[in-house]
Amino acid sequence: MAAAESSPLTTHVLNTGDGVPAARMALSLHRLDSQLMIWNMLSVGTTNKDGRCAGLVSGGALSPGMYKLRFETGSYWESLGQTSFYPYVEVVFTISAQEQSFHLPLLMTRFSYSTYRGS
Amino acid sequence: MSVYRMQQLKAHILPGNKTTAMAGPASPLTTHVLNIAMGVPGSNMAINLYRQDPSTNTWSLITTGTTNADGRCPGLITKETFTSGVYRLRFETAQYWESMGETCFYPYVEIAFTINDPGQKYHVPLLLSRFSYSTYRGS
Repeated sequence: MAAAESSPLTTHVLNTGDGVPAARMALSLHRLDSQLMIWNMLSVGTTNKDGRCAGLVSGGALSPGMYKLRFETGSYWESLGQTSFYPYVEVVFTISAQEQSFHLPLLMTRFSYSTYRGS
Repeated sequence: MSVYRMQQLKAHILPGNKTTAMAGPASPLTTHVLNIAMGVPGSNMAINLYRQDPSTNTWSLITTGTTNADGRCPGLITKETFTSGVYRLRFETAQYWESMGETCFYPYVEIAFTINDPGQKYHVPLLLSRFSYSTYRGS
């Protein structure tokens, strides 16, 4: 748990339609190689029963650049026997040199989602 | 000058609604960009609509557009070309905020969605601030 709290990037996925954390959702973190203009996958994970995912980032702070957090929301809803308007959700964000820690939650239903930069 | 005032002036000076989107009957797919931080429509934001080819999983650009003064972009697609499939709307959010002298946490926002019944209407709005955004299937 301590490792998760000190991770430079944390997320929290909430199924606000059912009022529960979104457990067992696959997600992945990618970084843009700005010279080749391709995305490199840095890590994959699955949310725990609290909708959180420890260990997305190993080592220290994330270096400046463009990142993408991809949530396999379509598969998640399918595993609950439901359809969703969105096959997946990708949140692309920019990290600049000064910033240290990022909390990127995803609040979602089958037909909506929102995200914000939290703490 | 306030940022809001600057945005208003920008809307007057720049060519109106420079979009290659089509005229004619209403598009079955619509969007609406709202700048909820400032309480104004997200106008003059560049957006692109893509469709995914199901056999190759590659994306094709369908429409390029710019939101008008009301944050909308009419003519995204025609009923004839609106087939079932996975689509993606890309919004140039950082460029939008930069034009007002501000940064944005999100360089762009892409919303991928599945159209199962092209006979229906789909409204995919984007509510945006510099550090948050949300979307929903509206009407």
